Amino acid sequence: MEGIYAFGLLAVFASIVIGFWALVRENDDLHRILLTDLAEILALALIALVATDLAEALILPGLVVGISELMAISEVFLVREGLVRQPERMLQIEVMDSAPGLLALALVGYGILLSGFSGGAVAGIGVIFYFVCKGHDERFALLETLSGYAWAMWIVAFFIFMLLPQYWFFGVLIAGAAILLKVAGKMSLVGTMRGGANV
Amino acid sequence: MFELPVTTIEGPELFVLEFGDIVNYFTVYTAVLFTFALLFTILVIISRPERQVDFAFGGDAFYTKDITPGQFRFQRFMALACGMATLGAMMSGDVFNFTLFTSMVGITNIGIVAAYRNRHVLNAAFQYGIVAMIATVPLFGSAAIILATTGTLSMWALFGPAIAVPLVAKIFLVLGVMGEGMAPFYVAKAEITRAPGAPYVLMIHVSSLLLFLRVVEIVISM
Repeated sequence: MEGIYAFGLLAVFASIVIGFWALVRENDDLHRILLTDLAEILALALIALVATDLAEALILPGLVVGISELMAISEVFLVREGLVRQPERMLQIEVMDSAPGLLALALVGYGILLSGFSGGAVAGIGVIFYFVCKGHDERFALLETLSGYAWAMWIVAFFIFMLLPQYWFFGVLIAGAAILLKVAGKMSLVGTMRGGANV
Repeated sequence: MFELPVTTIEGPELFVLEFGDIVNYFTVYTAVLFTFALLFTILVIISRPERQVDFAFGGDAFYTKDITPGQFRFQRFMALACGMATLGAMMSGDVFNFTLFTSMVGITNIGIVAAYRNRHVLNAAFQYGIVAMIATVPLFGSAAIILATTGTLSMWALFGPAIAVPLVAKIFLVLGVMGEGMAPFYVAKAEITRAPGAPYVLMIHVSSLLLFLRVVEIVISM
């Protein structure tokens, strides 16, 4: 086992020497970013050589730190080279024009069948998908109204539980429908977070 | 209970917070460093950006630059995050956590430097970013080698006489911190201390200095 670790360490050190040598020789800045990313992977290889569960747990933060540094440098590179351009539309995929209506309908329908918190989550994903694909102008008023109705339904269900406990099933149904509306409305707001003019 | 094996280097321990075998602690030495970092973090929170005056050469004319706090929101936030990461690195009792905090200081330093929309400054930020990113190789490499050879990352175990940390791991740790803490050189290169918004740039120097002081303590104690 010790021999294998030493051998792996030797291989990684050789790779590090090669990677650093490549970085020294490279002049193009874009290529240097890519090479640093490769060098970053060698750090992960060094951690992976430990070959225990702990190594597995340490690779993830190492990877996250590496990626965030890479993103920071790339952003600096883009700004420095003046390559930043405001996108007119975020995504241009044909399916996103044709599919959202049907898929959103199916997801919202299934969410209503599930009801409650998980139903609200499913229906909310359907609405997110619709808003992401179709845009979201002037639909906030509708969401706010829905949210308000859900709140009122909760209060009604609460009073039923307190004052007319024998009708508990009715109260449960009202509260379940209300939380469906509430969660779906809250989640659908996520679909509108695209930095538009009115957000 | 936990006892610091050697008290000649950093003085007796003042406070110990134990999570399993990972022990976060303050000694006299690290408490002083922590207080220093805390002081400068508070300074960043309360201070407003410096106002500069430009004099026209060869005359009495001068004009004041119009600087609003909103202009430096991002840089201030990054300086604050840098202070937090430095605080974490000062009190961490785990080698891997220390390396993570160190690389977080590196990321926030890139953010502080890159806040200026000036090609010269952005160029320096880019070069520093490359160095900081390469430095994570020896940084995490040292933590991995320490874990593989000794079986633990807890500084309290590593500081004891029973465990010998290989020299290459110590060298790697110092190299990694040197790479991450190299930001002041690039600051000097880009002369951004002369650019507006000076108090927030201080955080780069403070964090770098404190990281070096802490890594010396760790390497000597190991």
